[in-house]
Amino acid sequence: MSKFREVTQIMMAEYASTGALMHAAEALRDAGYKDYDCHSPFPIHGMDQAMGLKRSPLGYIVFTVAVCGLIGIMTLMWWTSTTAYPLVISGKPYFSFQAFVPPAFAITILSAALTAVIGMLILNRLPQLFHPLFYSERFSRVTDGGFYVSVESTDPKFDAARTRQLLESLGGSHIEILKDA
Amino acid sequence: MSNQSNQWPHGDVLITGNQTFETVTTSVSRVVEQKPGKGWWMLFLPSLALALMSFSLVGQLFYEGLGLWGIMVPVVWGLAIVNFVFWVGIGHAGTLISAILFLLRQRWRTSINRFAEAMTIFAVICALMFPTIHVGRVWALYWTMPIPNQMNMWPNFRSPLMWDFFAVGTYFTVSLMFWYVGLIPDLATLRDRAKDKVRKIIFGILSMGWRGGNKQWKHYELAYLILAAVSTPLVLSVHSIVSTDFATSLIPGWHTTIFPPYFVAGAIFSGFAMVMTLSLIARKVWHLEDIITMRHLERMNIIMLVTGMMVGYAYSTEFFIAWYSGNEYERFAFINRAFGQYAWAYWIMVSCNVLVPQTFWFKKMRTSLVWMFIASILINVGMWFERFVIVITLASDFLPSSWGYYSATWHDWALLIGSFGLFFTLFLLFLRFLPMIAMSEVKAILPQADPHAHHEGGH
Amino acid sequence: MSSVNRPDGRNGREYWRSLDQLSQTGEFKEFLNREFPQGASELEQVENNDWSRRNFITLMGASLALAGLASCRRPETHVLPYVKAPEEIIPGIAIQYATAMPLGTGVYGVVVEAHEGRPTKIEGNELHPSTKGASNAWIQASILNLYDPDRSRRVMQGASEKTWSDVTSFWRGELTKHQANKGAGLAVLSEQHNSPTFARLVRQFKSAFPMATFVTWEPAGDELKIEGIRIATGSVAQPVYDLAKASVIVSLDCDFVFGESESVVNARGFADGRRLKSEKESMNRLYVVESAFTSTGATADHRICLQVQRIGAFAIRLAQALRAKGLAIPSADGLSSIDLSDIDSKWVSELASELLSSRGRSVVMAGRRLPAPVHALVCAINSALDNVGSTVAWHSAPDVNVTNANEFATLVNAMKSGSISTLFVLGGNPVYSAPADLGFADAYKKVATTIHLGTHVDETAEVSTWHIPQSHFLEAWGDARSVDGTLSAIQPLIEPLYHSKSDIELLALVVSGVDARGYDIVRETWGASITALDFESKWRRALHDGVVADNRTAAVPALIDSGAVANALRSADLSSDKLSSSSMEIVFAVSGATFDGRWANNGWLQEVPDPITKLTWDNAAIMSVGTAEVLGLASGDIVKAGYSGRSMDLPVWIVPGNADNSVTVALGYGRRSAGSVGTDIGFDVNALRTSKAPYFDAGLTLSKTGRTYVFSTTQDHGSMEGRPIIREATYEEYKRDPNFAPEMVEHPPLESMWNEHKYDTGYQWGMVIDLNSCVGCNACTVACQSENNIPIVGKEQVRKGREMHWIRLDRYFAGSTDEPTVLHQPMACHHCELAPCEQVCPVAATVHDHEGLNVMVYNRCIGTRYCSNNCPYKVRRFNFWNYTKDYPETIKMAQNPDVTVRSRGVMEKCTYCVQRISEGRITAKKENREIRDGEVRSACQQACPTGAITFGNILDPNSAVSQAKKINRNYVVLEELNTKPRTSYLARVRNPNPALEGVSCGRG
Repeated sequence: MSKFREVTQIMMAEYASTGALMHAAEALRDAGYKDYDCHSPFPIHGMDQAMGLKRSPLGYIVFTVAVCGLIGIMTLMWWTSTTAYPLVISGKPYFSFQAFVPPAFAITILSAALTAVIGMLILNRLPQLFHPLFYSERFSRVTDGGFYVSVESTDPKFDAARTRQLLESLGGSHIEILKDA
Repeated sequence: MSNQSNQWPHGDVLITGNQTFETVTTSVSRVVEQKPGKGWWMLFLPSLALALMSFSLVGQLFYEGLGLWGIMVPVVWGLAIVNFVFWVGIGHAGTLISAILFLLRQRWRTSINRFAEAMTIFAVICALMFPTIHVGRVWALYWTMPIPNQMNMWPNFRSPLMWDFFAVGTYFTVSLMFWYVGLIPDLATLRDRAKDKVRKIIFGILSMGWRGGNKQWKHYELAYLILAAVSTPLVLSVHSIVSTDFATSLIPGWHTTIFPPYFVAGAIFSGFAMVMTLSLIARKVWHLEDIITMRHLERMNIIMLVTGMMVGYAYSTEFFIAWYSGNEYERFAFINRAFGQYAWAYWIMVSCNVLVPQTFWFKKMRTSLVWMFIASILINVGMWFERFVIVITLASDFLPSSWGYYSATWHDWALLIGSFGLFFTLFLLFLRFLPMIAMSEVKAILPQADPHAHHEGGH
Repeated sequence: MSSVNRPDGRNGREYWRSLDQLSQTGEFKEFLNREFPQGASELEQVENNDWSRRNFITLMGASLALAGLASCRRPETHVLPYVKAPEEIIPGIAIQYATAMPLGTGVYGVVVEAHEGRPTKIEGNELHPSTKGASNAWIQASILNLYDPDRSRRVMQGASEKTWSDVTSFWRGELTKHQANKGAGLAVLSEQHNSPTFARLVRQFKSAFPMATFVTWEPAGDELKIEGIRIATGSVAQPVYDLAKASVIVSLDCDFVFGESESVVNARGFADGRRLKSEKESMNRLYVVESAFTSTGATADHRICLQVQRIGAFAIRLAQALRAKGLAIPSADGLSSIDLSDIDSKWVSELASELLSSRGRSVVMAGRRLPAPVHALVCAINSALDNVGSTVAWHSAPDVNVTNANEFATLVNAMKSGSISTLFVLGGNPVYSAPADLGFADAYKKVATTIHLGTHVDETAEVSTWHIPQSHFLEAWGDARSVDGTLSAIQPLIEPLYHSKSDIELLALVVSGVDARGYDIVRETWGASITALDFESKWRRALHDGVVADNRTAAVPALIDSGAVANALRSADLSSDKLSSSSMEIVFAVSGATFDGRWANNGWLQEVPDPITKLTWDNAAIMSVGTAEVLGLASGDIVKAGYSGRSMDLPVWIVPGNADNSVTVALGYGRRSAGSVGTDIGFDVNALRTSKAPYFDAGLTLSKTGRTYVFSTTQDHGSMEGRPIIREATYEEYKRDPNFAPEMVEHPPLESMWNEHKYDTGYQWGMVIDLNSCVGCNACTVACQSENNIPIVGKEQVRKGREMHWIRLDRYFAGSTDEPTVLHQPMACHHCELAPCEQVCPVAATVHDHEGLNVMVYNRCIGTRYCSNNCPYKVRRFNFWNYTKDYPETIKMAQNPDVTVRSRGVMEKCTYCVQRISEGRITAKKENREIRDGEVRSACQQACPTGAITFGNILDPNSAVSQAKKINRNYVVLEELNTKPRTSYLARVRNPNPALEGVSCGRG
């Protein structure tokens, strides 16, 4: 939430269509803006390039944790059945790894999935139950049919007048300044 | 903005009726925002009654013991395990639709994946109920978990039941997360549409402050992709592992290598049948003909036809191998299945699972709402009997001296019915309070969602 | 033994006072404070004698542990803190006592295991001629009779409770009157005995009351056997067989391995004749002529199926054939008219010539149902074949009180006529068991004073003026002779649980009015027979051994009074009526479970399946397939059975190999007042029984009622489906192909995918079961039930398939339905080295121990029941209900303290009697040695009368079990599954007469 405290104000503009939104995104990118975002009811194909965003690191995180999960469960099964409490079961070896594959597989999957979800939330700084954008009446359409660009004042290039003019020139309407009360 | 005519790529019209983003939102949200109609109550109250009945039956079972069931030596596994396998199977279609079709970029899935996933979760809940209550000393069930304890005892990871515990447990957790992650944007929609404060707060919390910003979508989409990617092998593994409950034993008729693929095919088969049953009801009750279109239904029917034939092929292969193996016990087990004391169950299974889907060769049947509804139910009856036939193989194994005849008691049957009550209770609550169709996903496949559709300046 | 604790805690008080004294010793306090804090706090409570079972155990533990702690000084006072200390009792250590269980005109010598003065297990007595260390289901189950919660507990006069002193004062009042008129109007009705003491009292009774009547009667006894011997030899004697010496055995309706007297030793002797360590050894041959299938018929090499009423005729035909071959056998030419045309004449001739060729090594045995003249004839045959003295001997029975049907009938008539004013019933239950035609119940009511001594408030007690509880043989002093006359002492292990008396105590009172203790009565008898010089030592020796060594009564010389035999045969009515489906033969048999109904309230016996029908909790009208077809009946149909003017409903059970037009019904069921277990179980066929033909007769009619009846059987499927489960060959085939058994199944080399666990050190337990010896008698099943605290589940649960027996006897029919053979196979946990049950348990509740046992950890079991699914032998048993929850206190006393009592929801199974293995290991450790071979015996092994079960360490090449596994008949059931079972079987070998190959046995 530290980031959020820095946010003093946000300028929000509405756009008519996915196309317009993407055009605006590209323009802001070319204008060198960083701390801006494009809001839409659904993910828009190609928007990452339009905003010039890097690929999400989530994949690497998930892979690492999944491997740890695999090693962890295998170690547990090895330790319990050979060291902690070795038992002769059906005359099989204490470490019958063949039989340990299914649990190992399941735990790997489980750790991957959990990481994917938790990782996603952390990277998105969610849950974040309050945000200045929610002051806007119109912004509630972002989950319905509305498309918005929001520029944060933390951006070095941010200038109330020029940014507003840029957004308008890109076809933005209902431009609002949202302050953190 | 969305007043120009929809041009569907490849003329592949997935959503009919000239939908706009707004119409999608309203037609889906409407359902959870208005008071439930008579129809809903008429379905909900009986379901709730059955669910409560099953709870009281479980209480009685814990108090009095497993003697209440029909199980005996040699058939110490009865309806409880049949129901378990049946419900786990039902679940599979949900994950399949949401994960595999997603990876295969089958865009038509978006209309049905939400409640297919819901169905998965509720089916797995019903499934988990049975192995839990079927153990002799339920108060010691936690010993199956690898947690340190004063006895210094650990579970036996060689046991297929342990594999089950891990596989189904993982399956449930992952499906739940998959479902919830998919819900987040739609929950935000409900939050933003909410009029009264309570709903606003509830959905506000549930949607975690989703803002639909592309920086969020970026991580979100990758997370969703990963979930889909891990769910796919998972869903295939779950029923394979469930099948090892039987396949790793040495009982004739159980000890079969074909079980894993055969169980998975059967699971998808029955799962799609259940999705069909449910979507036909939902479609009728909430007039979603434009979103769940005939082509969705038709494609599901085709999948049922295919999986149905896989299952039929498995049945015949079993018999061939039994004969080819030259093992007298194996041979007897299968002859006995088809012509022995439980032949009636076997032939119910064959007619429902092999013959019924054949009707879907004909477009007329494939597109007849009435028939596909009946067929979907018959198929699930057949799939229940498939599991019954497999479990009941226990009745006649190696030594004729120990052969017996298992017959379920009223308690067995009542629990089966009760589990359906539980399932529909949960499902109706879901339909009542959560968007049954993934709005954001449906919107994403509308023609006007494509940024290049009318902005030639794109690159 | 008088200082043994009584559950009512009378001696208990003294016990605690002694602990009080004990608590003064410093070590004790210190010990308690250190080890048993709560126990220490109990000491105050102990003083005011308020104690709970838990404290009892705690303090018990304390005193035990203290033995080691303080044994440096005056251990004896510490080790056994009793005031009246039975020196030998050490808490926690079981002690064995020798005593004897009288039954009919014989007695079974037994050794009883007692824990802190509480009998828990009965075994045969190695030294006793009637058991030789083995036992049968009845002996095993008799421990449960002691603790039967329904036993009558106090003296009753009508409905009012009385005490023993009321009885004594009552009788003393009566006595003078009876002495005055020499006992006119006084009668005693007694059960059978073969007891010097009882005989002495009877003699005293007769001299004291010359006018009184003394009658011995039981529903089933060896009356006709003994009478037959008397006809033939002129002296009262009982037959004693030594079947081990016999190479040819002919059984005429004689179920000598199961239903008849002396079945334990006869089964042993029979099995000794066919152990076959290799194909080189010879084996005996058994011919059985019988109507209904019996265990003996199942073990037979040739079974001739004949209605009982024609078996006498068969005997005569055999005698004639032997005579024709020049043997001196009294003629019975008067009866040459009997029609045996349906039996191939080759039969009799071949049989006769084989008997001749093995003179002195053969024996002919006749069953207790056959008429006395037939028995006389059989004596003559045996004597003519020089078998007397080798395979059979007749030992004079001076003290025998055998049942006497005629005297009984006379008594009942006297009762009817009102000439009997006072009647003592010493045991037995005549109101239930008397034949219907006598009308005993009505006659009984006519008697002014009836005094009934019985273990239960049964049908007779209910209508008696006085009822006195009868002591169990483990509660009373007594003595008895076995059939060969060997004298056994019967010593109690426990004071009577209730206010009961033994029959000798009551009879002594009747005779003299003196209230003597059984102990003194018996010693008085023995004092007369044993020289006073070393009486005490001899007496103690007898108590210790359970028998008085080599004091058999004289054998009767084999001098046959041919004339008498011939006359008897001539006067005997052996002409067989023509049998048809409209006039069938009815045959009365004693039940393999409840005998004549005396054990109807014994749950173990009620639930143990019949060897042939596998029925539990029931009797039935047993008939052949052919008869059922003619009458259009199926098993379970209820028929109206009419015979000699009476009729009753009976359910039908069809058994292949039963004689046609012959229906066998078991006595001992349909008790109206047996107790909570036995009341209204099965059907009371005494309602059809008559005194003129108590065992078999023609004239039975059956008519359908349209109703059906639900039986509870433990085995639904009787065919082996051609699977090589029980492997069998004829003796000839075995000689030709000695390895037929192991080679019967082709399978790939049995290899594992992994390195198996090595079991190559210490003891590795294994078992071999010889199917050639097993006769399916259920002794093992009940022994196991007693040893391992196995609950009974009741008829309904058995029907559901939930019986709990750890070792079951699988019964298969083979061959045609006309001439079927029956095979038995004991089936218990095989303790597979690669046990399929183990790998599937999610909580490792069943695992292998270092001695190769497949151990079941009840405390860990959560009851997924997967192990049972995956057991190819289906020998695991599950506690579907909490069977043991509502045990009455007395039943709890019958439990073996060394074995966990299982609760609801856990799996259980045979453990190879792991508690006995541990006991053996401890003993060996203490004596710093290895466990000796045969030192540890499983309960089933110890009980088995035929010694079919061998158990021991398979690593020791010289152990009996290793030797047995080397025999070429050794094979493993379902070996191809590669579960590597520790239990293997020795294939069965039948020894049919080659000369009779292809000759039909006939179906009667």
